Amino acid sequence: MDIRPILFTLRRHKLTCCLLVLQIAFTCAIVCNTIFLISQRLDLMRVSSGVAEQELVYVQMAYIGSRPDEKARAAVDVAALQSIPGVKSATLANELPFDNGSDNSDVRTDLAQRMPVLKASQYFGENLAHTLGVRIVEGRDLRPEEYVDLSDAFTLLAAKQYDKLPKVALITRAMADRLWPGQSPLGKRYYVGKNISFTVVGVIASLIRPGQDRLDASVQYSSVWPLRLTLIQGSFLIRCASQDRDRVLRAAVDKLKALDPNRIVLDKGTMEQHRRDFFQNDRAMAGILVGICIALLIVTALGIVGLASFWVAQRNHSIGVRRALGATRGNILHYFQTENFLLTTMGIALGMVLAYGINLFLIVHYELPRLPAIYFPVGALLLWCLGQAAVLGPALRAAAVPPVVATRSV
Amino acid sequence: MVGYSMELAWRGLRRYPKTTALAVLTVAIGLAASMTTMALLHMLSADPLPGRSQHLYLAWFDAVQAKPQTYTSLDNDWATYDYKRLKTADAEALLAAHKGTLQAAVADLDAQVEGDHGEPSNEHVLATSSDFMPMFGVALRDGRHWTAAEDAARAPVAVIDSELAQKLFDTTKAVGRVVQIKHHAFRIIGVSQPYSPQPHFYGLNAWTFSGSDRESIFVPLGAAMDAGLAASSTDGCDDVTEKSKQYIAVDPVHCEWLADWVQLDTAQDVAAYRSFLDHYAMQQQSALASYGKKPQWRLLSVQQWLTLQNAIPDNVRLNVWLAGSFLLLCMVNVAGLLAAKFMRRGVEVGIRRALGASRRAVMLHHLLEAGMVCLLGGVLAWPLTLLGLSLLRMQDQGFTDLARLDVVMFAGLFALALGVGVLVGLLPSWRVSLVQPGLQVKSA
Repeated sequence: MDIRPILFTLRRHKLTCCLLVLQIAFTCAIVCNTIFLISQRLDLMRVSSGVAEQELVYVQMAYIGSRPDEKARAAVDVAALQSIPGVKSATLANELPFDNGSDNSDVRTDLAQRMPVLKASQYFGENLAHTLGVRIVEGRDLRPEEYVDLSDAFTLLAAKQYDKLPKVALITRAMADRLWPGQSPLGKRYYVGKNISFTVVGVIASLIRPGQDRLDASVQYSSVWPLRLTLIQGSFLIRCASQDRDRVLRAAVDKLKALDPNRIVLDKGTMEQHRRDFFQNDRAMAGILVGICIALLIVTALGIVGLASFWVAQRNHSIGVRRALGATRGNILHYFQTENFLLTTMGIALGMVLAYGINLFLIVHYELPRLPAIYFPVGALLLWCLGQAAVLGPALRAAAVPPVVATRSV
Repeated sequence: MVGYSMELAWRGLRRYPKTTALAVLTVAIGLAASMTTMALLHMLSADPLPGRSQHLYLAWFDAVQAKPQTYTSLDNDWATYDYKRLKTADAEALLAAHKGTLQAAVADLDAQVEGDHGEPSNEHVLATSSDFMPMFGVALRDGRHWTAAEDAARAPVAVIDSELAQKLFDTTKAVGRVVQIKHHAFRIIGVSQPYSPQPHFYGLNAWTFSGSDRESIFVPLGAAMDAGLAASSTDGCDDVTEKSKQYIAVDPVHCEWLADWVQLDTAQDVAAYRSFLDHYAMQQQSALASYGKKPQWRLLSVQQWLTLQNAIPDNVRLNVWLAGSFLLLCMVNVAGLLAAKFMRRGVEVGIRRALGASRRAVMLHHLLEAGMVCLLGGVLAWPLTLLGLSLLRMQDQGFTDLARLDVVMFAGLFALALGVGVLVGLLPSWRVSLVQPGLQVKSA
C-alpha cells in the first residue's frame, strides 16, 4: 500500500497527530517501566527459602525476662511440643525465614582483611537444620556434643574464654561459593570477630536470610551455629506433616499455655502464611501497578478510538468519493489501519527513548536495575496490537460508507 | 463576551455527547489516580501534632564510651540502630538542667499487663517523665498526670487510656484502681484519651505509622525501671556492657535507650539550647578521645527528624510519580480529542470569524469549553478518589489507614481540575483560533 497519500493527509492534522503520537509514546514509556517494576516484585515473591515450608508451624511468645530456671523451662517446653502426636521435630529458634529482621555478623576468611567478605545471618537452635528441613549437600549436620547454651556463650564472651565457644557451623552453598570460590568449603575456617571463628562442617543447599532489606544477591547468606536457646525468647518451630499443621498448632499453643498460663502468645501460624505476610506489601504494590497499567492501556485505546472516529466522520465525504472512484472496502479499511500503524510506530520510537529515560531516573532514585532489552520489542508489539484493535471499529465504519455519499453535498 | 462564550461552550459540549463523555471520563480517571496518591502522601507528611510540633526538638549528644560502630560482629555489637537516644544518666542530666520550657525523656517498652480479671495481655508502655503529657498534648479524661515530685520519688503510678481501661476494668472510670505491669502494682491516677499522633515521631524505633499500635500506658521512667522494664533495642553501648544486656533487656546505665525531647518556644531559646548542648557535648571530649571519637551533638526539629529517618515509605513517592505521569497521559489524550473536536468546527469558526468575531473571542470560547470538560471531570473524580482511597485503606500496610481526603486536598482536586483544563485546552484553542475567515467560507 502506498503510504504517501496517508502522510500527506496526516500533515493536514499536525496538532492532533502530534498529540496522538505523544500519547502513545507516554503509554509505551510508562507501561514498559511499570511492567518491569511488577516483574521485579514477582521475582522477589518467588524467592526460594530452602526450608520445608509446607511442613512448618511456629509459635512466638512474649519475652518474660531471664529467670533462674530458664534452661530447664526451655527443655520442658520443647519436650512437651515433641510429644504432640504427628510432630516430627520441634525446637526453639532465634529467627525464622521470612522474619522482618535478622541477626547478622560480618564474615572474614582472614583476620587481616580490612573489609568483611560478606555479611551473613546466623540461625541457632538445637537440631535446627533438621527441623527446618534444609538439605545438607556436603559434610554433616551439627552433632549434639557441639552445642553450647546461648546464655553460657554470653558468659564465656564476657570472660573472654573464647576457646569454649562453639567452633563449627553449617553454611549455605551461596555463602561457601562467595567465601571460597571453586574450593570445597569443608574444614575451612571463617571469622565473625577477632576471637570467634567457625570451621565449616556442612554445606546447606539453600536457606534464606530473613529481613526485608536483604532480598538481593546476599539473600542466601545464612549460617547455622550450634547454640541452644535457653532464654525463653525465641520462636518455637515445629515440623509436622502438612495436613496436620492446624491441629498441631492448636495443640502446641494449648500445651504451652498449660505449662505456664501467664505467657502471652505474640504470634503463631504456618510458615506458608508467614511467607504470605512477609510479601504482603509487595503483593499490594504489584496489584496497584497492574491496575495502573490496565488503566493506561484502556485510556490510550479510548483515545485512539475517539480520534479515529472523529477522522472517519470528518472524511465521510472524501471516503464516499474514493469509493465512487473505485476504491474497495478493503482499500478504505487498510487506509485507516496503515494510518494507525504509522502513528503508533512514531509513538513507539519516541516512547522507547522516554522509557529508557524513565528507567535511568528510577535507577538513580530507587536503585532499580536496568530495563532488559526484551521489554522494547515486547512493548512495541503490545502497542501495535492495541492500536490496531482500537482502530478496527472506526475503520470498519469507514469501510461501510457507501459510494453514494459522494453525490450528497455536505 | 464571557457570558456569550460560556453559552457557546455549553452548546459545544452537548454537540458530540459521546466524545465529550469520553474526554470527561478520561480526565476524571487521571485526576482520581493522582489525587488518591497525593492525598496519601499529604496525610503521611502532615504535621503529627499541629500547633505543638514546631516547638519540639530532639536533643542528642554522643556519650557512648566505645569505638564508633563501623561494622557489626559478635565482638563488637549485634545490630546498629541510630535513633539518637541517650543513656539514662545523660538524659536525666538534660532533664535536670531545665533549659527548655518543658522536657521529657521517652522510651517505648513492651510489658505484660493485667487488670482485675481476664488474661494478661502485652501492651505498649511509654516510660517517660512528668512533662510529657502537657508537652505532647495528651488529653486526660479523668484524674491527673504525675508530677515532678513523683518522678523523683519513682512512684509506681500510671496513666492509662480509656480503651485499655475498658478492656482491663470494664469501665473508663479506672482512677484509683491498680494495674499490674510485669507483676508490679501501679496505681492509676489518670485516664487519657487514646493518643496516637501520626507519624509516631517521638519513638520511630517502635513504629512509624501505627495502624492499630498505640501506647496505652504511661508510667514514670524510674518506676518502670524499678519494675524491671527494659528496652529491646539500643543505639549503642559502652564497651564495659555485658554482651547479653545489649540486645534483649538493654542495660539502661551503659546503653542508649531514651529519646530526649525539649520544647523551645522562641528562636532565642533554640540558639541558647544549641550552645548549651554544644557545651555539654564538649565535656565528653576526654572520655571519647580514647575511643577515637570527636564530640558530636544534634538538635533536630520534628520535620528534620522525620526527614532524617526517611519516615515516608518510598513506595508512596513512587506511586505519586506514576499517578502524575498517568495524569499527563490523560491530559495529552483529552487534548487530542478536543483538538479533533474543535477542528471539526473549522467551517463554523471560519464563518464566525468572517462575521467579525475576534481571535480572542474564538480562543476564549474554546478554552471555556475545555475548562468545562475538566471541571466536569473533577466532579466525577471526587467519588472516584473516595473509592480509590477506600481501596487503599483496605490494604493493611500500617500507614494506609491514613488514606483520607481532607478539606485541603478536596480544594486541591478542583484547583488541579481547573489547571488541567486550561493546560489541556490551550493548544487546541490556539489552533482553532488560527482558522482563516475567508478560506473556510469558500470551501463551505
